[in-house]
Amino acid sequence: METYSITLWLFGLALLMTLILRAKSGGLFLHFPLFYSYITYTFSGSLITFLIYRLRPGSYPTSYWFYFLINLLAEFAVLAEVSDHVFEPYPAIRQFGRFLTICISTLFFILYILPSFLQFRPSSLALLDFSLRTSLTKMVIIVALGAAARYYRLPLGRNVAGLMMGFALYLGIYIVSLAAAQIFGKVLYAGIFRFMLPLGSILCLLAWTVAMWQFEVIPRTSWKLGEPGHETLEELSYRLSKLNTTLTRLVRK
Amino acid sequence: MMPLVAYVVIAVLSILVLALLVRKTRLDEPSEAAAEEEYALGLWDGQCLNLSERIFDSADYRWLRDELGFLHLARSLARSRKGLAIRWLKALRGAFEDMVCIPGEVSSGGNAGAHPRSWHLLWLTLRFHLALGYALLVVRLFGPCHRLIPPFDWRPFIPESSSREGRYGMVDLGDLD
Repeated sequence: METYSITLWLFGLALLMTLILRAKSGGLFLHFPLFYSYITYTFSGSLITFLIYRLRPGSYPTSYWFYFLINLLAEFAVLAEVSDHVFEPYPAIRQFGRFLTICISTLFFILYILPSFLQFRPSSLALLDFSLRTSLTKMVIIVALGAAARYYRLPLGRNVAGLMMGFALYLGIYIVSLAAAQIFGKVLYAGIFRFMLPLGSILCLLAWTVAMWQFEVIPRTSWKLGEPGHETLEELSYRLSKLNTTLTRLVRK
Repeated sequence: MMPLVAYVVIAVLSILVLALLVRKTRLDEPSEAAAEEEYALGLWDGQCLNLSERIFDSADYRWLRDELGFLHLARSLARSRKGLAIRWLKALRGAFEDMVCIPGEVSSGGNAGAHPRSWHLLWLTLRFHLALGYALLVVRLFGPCHRLIPPFDWRPFIPESSSREGRYGMVDLGDLD
């Protein structure tokens, strides 16, 4: 078991390093700044916790949970990156991804995550439940972003589609593992964690390494707003307002 | 054990649904409303708006039903108008989505909040979708000649414009189906 964990750990670090080196040589840092900030954080965190595990095993649980909790929040950077890349080229829906992310996060926090804080139970169980609920919220956000992109028939490209699929695989395995850990209890969940969580991370990193191997330019229409002979942003705003007025007039009829 | 099964189902379904959603989208893939394109012709020069006024105007329905007494013909007209109204609303949505998906300049580094008007444009987009969804629902349920906003006639403090009522002649078609 020990050899298995360390092998997966080192393999994960190698994949993270590959992602960072490919981004450096291919200029991907500029295109995906939030995602690569997250990858850099994950690489540093994994490396430091690995060194603590080998050199000072007594401090490992504390450092692991500290890294794990920050990571739960840092993962929102991947969602922000995906939402920016899907919607940013289109001025009328530029903020739609962030709007969806904020709305779903707020709704789930109030109705789903907050009630878990109000229950009295051991801190380890509370932490597992919090992680489970946060992961499920992220899964809902990523599916909602995919649905919104599909609705508007927006081309995603290999980079963003790979980011989404890799993250969904990771979240799916996390959700199942955390739910199993809650149900099977303390005796079994250490074993589940040791096996499943690194597996989820490795699958996700493999998907990301393939998807982010090189930057892909997404084909869009041959012209853009504001180009000579084409519509300006002001004209787009005017036309959106006009369609709204038409519809409002109809509804108020 | 049931919660675990539920979480497994949620996780697997989410991954499968996402895999279907992120399939490659072809730029030339026709939208749902592309077939209704002719309805949106002349959207910006007033022709399309005249068409909508004719579709949603219930005067001829009232004339058939009340003055000539042709109930069967009136019902038939209401049914065909309902189909026309739905197609017109879908065409409007298609025109709107085509416009919304026009790309603009993107700042390098992915600063999505760079343009101050982007939240205003998003508000217009969401408002349109809400109003359109509501209009489609009412038209599907009651037909195009039905009042889209409830009249609130029982509230005497809301003034009712007689000229507007005379022009459009509101009729409740709820009893026809």
